[in-house]
This record gives sequence, structure tokens and C-alpha cells, in this order.
Amino acid sequence: MELFDSFSIGLSVLMGWKPVLIIIVGVVVGILAGAMPGLSPSTAVALPVPFSYTMEPALALILLTLIYIASNYGGSITAVLINTPGTPSAAVTALDGYPLTRQGKAGKGLGTALFASTIGGAVGVAILILFAVPLARIALKFSQADYFALALFGLATVASMSRENVLKSLLAILFGLLLTNIGIDPISGVSRFTFGSDQLYDGFTLIPALIGLFAVSVVFSKMESWTGDARSMEKVDNKLPSIHEFMKIRMTILRSSVIGTVIGIFPGAGATIAAFISYDMARKASKTPEEFGKGSLEGVAAAEGANSSSVGGALVPLLALGIPGSATDAVLLGAFMLHDLVPGPLLFTEHPDIVYGIFCALILANIIMLTIGVYGNKLFIKVVSVPEAVMYPLILAIAVIGSFAVSGSMFDVAACMGFGIIGWLFRRYGFPVAPIVLGIVLGKMVEENFRRAVMMDGYATFFTDKLAFIVLLISFLSFIWPLFKNWKHHKAKQLNIETEKSK
Amino acid sequence: MKRNSITLLIAAFMLIATFTAAVATEFPSKPIKLIVYTKPGGAIDVFARKFTAIAARYTDATFVVVNKSGAGGIVAIKYILSQKPDGYKFAAVTRSNIGKIVSTGGNIDTNAINWMGLMVVDPEAIITNRNQSVNTWEQIVADAKAKGGKQLWVGPAAGGNDHIMAMKTWKAAGIQARWIPYSGGGKSMAALLGGHGVVYVGNPQDVIGRPDLKVAAIASEKRLGGQFADVPTFSELGVKGLDNEIMWRGFMAKKGIPAEAEAFYIDLLKKVNSDPDWKAYVEKGGANPVMKDAEEFSAIIEADKTEFGKVLKELGVIK
Repeated sequence: MELFDSFSIGLSVLMGWKPVLIIIVGVVVGILAGAMPGLSPSTAVALPVPFSYTMEPALALILLTLIYIASNYGGSITAVLINTPGTPSAAVTALDGYPLTRQGKAGKGLGTALFASTIGGAVGVAILILFAVPLARIALKFSQADYFALALFGLATVASMSRENVLKSLLAILFGLLLTNIGIDPISGVSRFTFGSDQLYDGFTLIPALIGLFAVSVVFSKMESWTGDARSMEKVDNKLPSIHEFMKIRMTILRSSVIGTVIGIFPGAGATIAAFISYDMARKASKTPEEFGKGSLEGVAAAEGANSSSVGGALVPLLALGIPGSATDAVLLGAFMLHDLVPGPLLFTEHPDIVYGIFCALILANIIMLTIGVYGNKLFIKVVSVPEAVMYPLILAIAVIGSFAVSGSMFDVAACMGFGIIGWLFRRYGFPVAPIVLGIVLGKMVEENFRRAVMMDGYATFFTDKLAFIVLLISFLSFIWPLFKNWKHHKAKQLNIETEKSK
Repeated sequence: MKRNSITLLIAAFMLIATFTAAVATEFPSKPIKLIVYTKPGGAIDVFARKFTAIAARYTDATFVVVNKSGAGGIVAIKYILSQKPDGYKFAAVTRSNIGKIVSTGGNIDTNAINWMGLMVVDPEAIITNRNQSVNTWEQIVADAKAKGGKQLWVGPAAGGNDHIMAMKTWKAAGIQARWIPYSGGGKSMAALLGGHGVVYVGNPQDVIGRPDLKVAAIASEKRLGGQFADVPTFSELGVKGLDNEIMWRGFMAKKGIPAEAEAFYIDLLKKVNSDPDWKAYVEKGGANPVMKDAEEFSAIIEADKTEFGKVLKELGVIK
């Protein structure tokens, strides 16, 4: 009953043409900003903060929160169509989304991403509304060793990322981990490998690296194999996934939505890690794991379901405790403060109109996102029918603008091109690039939490902390299992060859 | 007749000329950029935007807040120093910038900066979790002695303001504890809320809106007002030498800005400082509005540089 009253307060905030307009603007801006490489969700939310200062507090915060949730979907559009993840977490979407486009099934890729995002978003919001306070309390109880174990679990997903050559995946992830050593030491504050350069003080920025590794490297590969005919990419099918196909992935979407929300709640984990873990789980649970990486609808659904639901999760510590759980949360916290509001337990009692206004708007936003997405997809898909001779230079231009947009620094543009060359070399010699991203995203989390855990309780903590020990054990098994299966597979093959020879 | 009209024309011309000359010397004649060293939404960003909102009451000048984040403020300060000193760019700075200037090897000349005014002083605060059995100053001391150096204090990165405050506090109170650094205040507070540490070092504003947290001691000469009225100062608790441990916020520009620009800023800073809404905003955040001019501010900068230099050397961050 209490919840019902609160919701009627929330809904009353949304009455009138102005709030409705703001909701639509928030969703549209979010999708577009998310689709733009270089505008990560945190930047997309940060840009309108100054402008929202003059708005009513409730509407301002609704606008920003909606941009947050919609940008996580928007990132998938460019990931699927041109292999350029608009947001870091969409890197996982690109793994299967882009192959779908190459096969002429862009409509299915976009459609799956849209459905998974909407359902994921709704699940995340539902969990946020119902269990925000108790969940936030539980999340706080997890120790540094538990966080370390979670991060290691994320790293372990690398083993199943490439069947052909696990060694190459491992080298790629090590390269990513090494890169995170550049910049200031998170514990002692000492500069590492900065060579006296201010630009390297914060390490390499993720977004330019991501654009370079995924998009620019593809352009370079194309340049190398360019034959000179200016045809468009290939036939494009804008058909959405069929009901039958949707039914097949519904469990994947639900599972990834729950995984995404739960991981989103942990301060500092976030959408990208959620997407990687969910992708790995979907693959292990799948009846057709061999399709992953080659255009599996399940793969797209797992990534998008998880990154969109993580938004609801990340809002849990922010709204319930006033603790920012993600980079975007930190921007939202600032926006609250700008309006003389402090998120946290008191906000629920002192400003129920704002809290429940945001909740109601989030529910509405998912419906609007679905509608805009269904119609928008037909428009977005036209991008693919642009001739390649126009398309690839355009991707390069977007990459330059996108990496410059992160913080207005030419260094980032140079870094993006550098990563483009690295990505091109990786592709040329058959190394996967996704593990590099995984390494960059998780490197600091692994290092910081490991070192803090040891500082607090010594090395024994990884064995005495029951939860950490179990998760570490699971990580180890989940790392070993694909290797073991690979090995068995090889052995069986060899045995076959030998028996055939002996015949 | 003809000569008359020529004279008139010349007179009119000269009048216009003097008028335009007068306009040209008036400051400001175009929008002013206020550089902020974090991304939008950071604490200093909120501070800068509040400042421009209140400044708009006293001047017709247009302020544009520009975010230049990176390297803990080094990027923003270097940007200011790379521009020509026309007076149309100034930046919001905090004490932690000085720490960064020192820890990055001191390739920024603080004497090339016009430290225009220091406007807000946040006293350092010892913050605890109400739900833990150790939450008053006396309990912290007793617990620290019982644990023999294993008591955990959480806070932002090593060598920052709060870490220095912690080390000073241990020394002054004659206790030993361990500093566990997190990336940022938010995560440190989460650790305190989760019971992973006993004390978090921060500022009174960190407690606002978080009813589980409380300030156990404050490093200022006098007690604060409002919701902090019952928080004891260190000298009341019998700990000496911690009466003025602060985190400050202020504004800087490049040295050599035109005199009229300098006069404009000095006047504006004073007017904002005495605005009742500004006072209310600062005090609500558990801080004190102050007005320290360039001379006093520069002296504070020198003292801060010496302190950071000493501590960072002890910690091995710099050689």
C-alpha cells in the first residue's frame, strides 16, 4: 500500500506535457549519445548537467537518469552496424552483432539488442524499486577479497572467448592488463611508466583505446585488402527476429538481466564487466556454443540484457546510500548536489516526488525506448547500405571526433590511432582484440582490491573468506573447463585420425 | 560654415573615439571562461557553478564553465598557464591541486599563478559509522591502543589531504593505525558503511544525507553550526595542534592579467563572499566562507607545498 502511495506521488510528477517531453527527449538524446563512439554514458549524462541546473530538480534528474539508461542501449547500434562500440560495454555486443551485419542480418542483430535492452532495463528497474535498500546493505558487506574474486571471475571468462587459440587470447588479455599499469599507482600514489608525461598520469583512456581496437583496426584491415570497387557492403535485411527466435533467447535475456543487475549493484564493477560475465555464462549454458562470435543471437542478447540491466543495479547504491556505484553515478551525484539534494536514505522520506518520479520515468522510458527502437532501426540500418568507399573514411572520421570528444585532447586521438594499428596487427595475425578490453577494464579492479585485501587482512584472507574462496574456485574451474574441453576435443580428433590411418 | 561643420565632424569623431576607447578598457567585454579541473558533476564543478549563479547578481558578465579534467588538476592549471593573460580565463582550485603539483615533480611554477582569492574552508573531519561499537573519539583511541596498530582507517589515495590529516592525527593522539586508500571518497565511505574500516577521514559535508555516518571530531578552532553543533573540536578532546587542518577552495588566474580585470575579480569575489545565499550554501555543507586575498593565499600555497613535499617524501611518492 505504501508503495502504491509513493507511486501515485511519482506519477503526479510526470503529469503534463513538459515531463512527457522531457522523458522523450531524455530517451532520444540517450540513444543518440550512446550510439556516438566517444560519448560514454558518463559523458552523455555529464554534458546536459549545466543545462539542467535551471530546470525543476525532479525533471532535471529524470532527464539525466533516462539519458543514462538509454545510452546503454544506444551503444549497441553502432556496435552491431559498424563494429564501433558506442559505449565500452557494447564491445561485447559487437562480438556477435557485427558478424550478423556482415551476414546481411543487421535487422536481427539490432532487434535482439533492442529487445534484450528493454527487458534488461525493466528487470533492473524492477529490482531497484523493490529491493534497493536491503540490496545496498548486503553489497556493502562484501570484503575486498570478495571484490578481487569477482574481478578474477571476470578475467577467467577470457578462456571461453576464443576456441581456436586460447594462448592468443591469453596474450591479448595480458597486454590489456599490462596497459593498466601505466599511470598513477592506485594505492601508493607513485607514478608508473608515465615517463614524465601528464597525459599518461591517468593511464590510457578506455574510450579511445576501444574505438581504436575495434573500429579503426577494421578500417586499416580494409585498406590493406582494398580492391578498389566501390560497392556497398552487402545485401541488408532489416527483418527483426521472429517470435520463434525470440522465444529461443528469452531465457538468455532473463538470466543476463539478473546477472547485470546484481553486478551493477557492486560499486566499481559496472556494465562492461557485467556484459563479459553474462556473455560467458550464456555461452556455457547454450546448446549452440559454437555459434558464439560468429553471429549468435544469444550472444547479442546476453551482452545487451546485462549492460542495460546494470543501470538499475548501479542506481541501487546511489539512491539508497548516496554512494556512487559507477562513473555515471558519480556525475548523477553531482547533479543532485547542484540542486541542493543529497541522494541516500533521507531522500526517500524528504523528497519522495523525486525518487518515485525517477522510478516511474524509468518504467515509461523502457516502453518509449522500445517504440523508438523499432522504428529507428529501419533508419539506422540504412547506414550499412552506404558504399564501402564512403563508409570506412566515415568510420575513421567518427573515430577521430569520438576520441577527441572524451576530454578534448589530441593525445587521445593519437592514442586511438595507435590502438588502431595495434588492433590491425592483432587481427592480421589472428589475435582477438576483445580480451585487451577485458584486461583494461578489469586490471585496476583486480590490482586495487587484491592489494587492499592483503593490507587489511593478509594473504590468508583469500582462503578464510568463504565467499571469496568459493568464487575464486569457480573462477579457476570456469577458466580450466573450456581448456579441458578443447584438449579432449583435440585428443578425440587425433585419435580419429590415428584410427583412420591404422585402417 | 564649412569650417564649422568640419570642426563639428571632427568633434563628433573624437567623441565616438573616446567612447569606444572607454568601452574597450571596460572589463569584461566578452564571456569569461571558468575552468574546472573535474568532469561536470564533480564537487568542485558544483562549487564553480554555484559561484557563477550568485556572481550573476553582481555583474552582467557571462561566465562559461569549462571542464578540463585530467591528472588531478594539472591539465587545467597548465591550460591556464598556456593561455595569454587577457583576464578572460580563471580557474577553481582546491588544496588537493597543490598536492598534485608537488607529487608530479613540481613542473608547474606556483609563482606564475595569481592566487586571486581563497573563499571556502572545509575543516578536516574524523568520521565514523554510528552502527559500529567504536564511533566516538575516545572509543577510537581505546580501540587503536587495543589493536596495536592494526586499526583500519579508510580514505582517498595515499599522500592526499585526508591521508596527511590521518597521519597528523595519529601523531598528535599518540596512536597507531593503518591507512587503506580507495579511489575516491565515495568508495571509502562505502567501506566505512560496510564496516571494513573504523574511521574515514573527510569533511563534514560527507556526512550530510548519510544518517549512518557521524563526525567524531573536527579539526577547527571553534565548533561548526547547524547539524554539527554537538561535534567536539580536537582541542576540546585534549588533542593539541589540530585546530586548523583544512581543505580549501578558491580561484586562480595567470599572473599578468590586466589591472582592470584583477580589480573586477577582487571586487566580485568580495561581493559573492558577503552574499547571504552564498554563505548559506557554504555553511550548509559544513564549511566556512572566508575571504583571503592574493597575499594571504600565496602564503598558504607556500606552506602547503612545504607540507606536501615533506609528507610525500616520507611516503616515498617523490624523491
